[in-house]
Amino acid sequence: MRMKKKEIASEIFTGSMADVSFLLIIYFMITSAFSATRGLDFALPEDTSTPQEIKQEDSIDVHVLPGPVDAPPVVEVDGQSMPIDGMLPYIAEKLQQNPEKPVILRTDPDASYGNMIAVFDLLRRAEQPPPDGIGMKIETISIPTQREIQNIWSLLGVGR
Amino acid sequence: MALTLFRGRQRESAGQIFTASMADIVFLLIVFYVLTYKVEVDRTRVQLPDTWVRVKIPEEEKPAVISIASQQEGFLIRVSTGEEMSLPVSTNEEIVTFASTEVARDPNKAFIIKADEHVPYERFDAVLDALKQSKAKYIYLLSDQKTVEE
Repeated sequence: MRMKKKEIASEIFTGSMADVSFLLIIYFMITSAFSATRGLDFALPEDTSTPQEIKQEDSIDVHVLPGPVDAPPVVEVDGQSMPIDGMLPYIAEKLQQNPEKPVILRTDPDASYGNMIAVFDLLRRAEQPPPDGIGMKIETISIPTQREIQNIWSLLGVGR
Repeated sequence: MALTLFRGRQRESAGQIFTASMADIVFLLIVFYVLTYKVEVDRTRVQLPDTWVRVKIPEEEKPAVISIASQQEGFLIRVSTGEEMSLPVSTNEEIVTFASTEVARDPNKAFIIKADEHVPYERFDAVLDALKQSKAKYIYLLSDQKTVEE
């Protein structure tokens, strides 16, 4: 009597597949980043050979003063100290006279970046209907640097 | 005695966890991570300021990243081209050189400023000034979503 030959089924060894898979998962979990890719944008003016004429009275000056980050920012608008809630209604009045009026956002060097962002965010929200905004878009929000401010003061002959 | 010998032992079913679907789940996770994989070019841990207005930063253009770390890290500034890991810089001139090189390569290069909300404005101002000197056109200030409670 002939014995039947035992047929060995061909198969792929998958015992280590789970190890490899988990290794890959751990690698991707650790190295991948769900980076925050949202924020406030602003475009800087194009470089032109003819600099724009500076008219001090044609803009709204918002000055952010030093203060704690967690508290509402302290601002001076056109040299007047006012609560942050009063800033947008004041700007609305000015924009009704001239909707193109630019807003210059100056920040004290000792203030925190968070305070400046809070005010900038508020200015960007101006186009929202009340109570969030004033229903009017501020066309130009300029953020001059300290060097530019110094240049303007020296051009105007004001020592600061 | 004989009866117990012939009855045979009762088969004990060993408690086991059903693992047949584990491979499916594992591969699903792998596919998810492969698709969403993105190398973090800047690992500076910062507490971003919260804002209501937030616009999507176009990732296709691979914006350069300038980060200003928190006080614990001494407000250290790091720069990254958006493709390579960030490197610390110590002077404003280095930021100008970095940004000028990037703008020369691509005049429409966007820059992301990722700064901790407690950073003194003076520090941010130096970075902004460097970008303006480099004739950068588009700047994004990274922020977190503000919630109603805030």
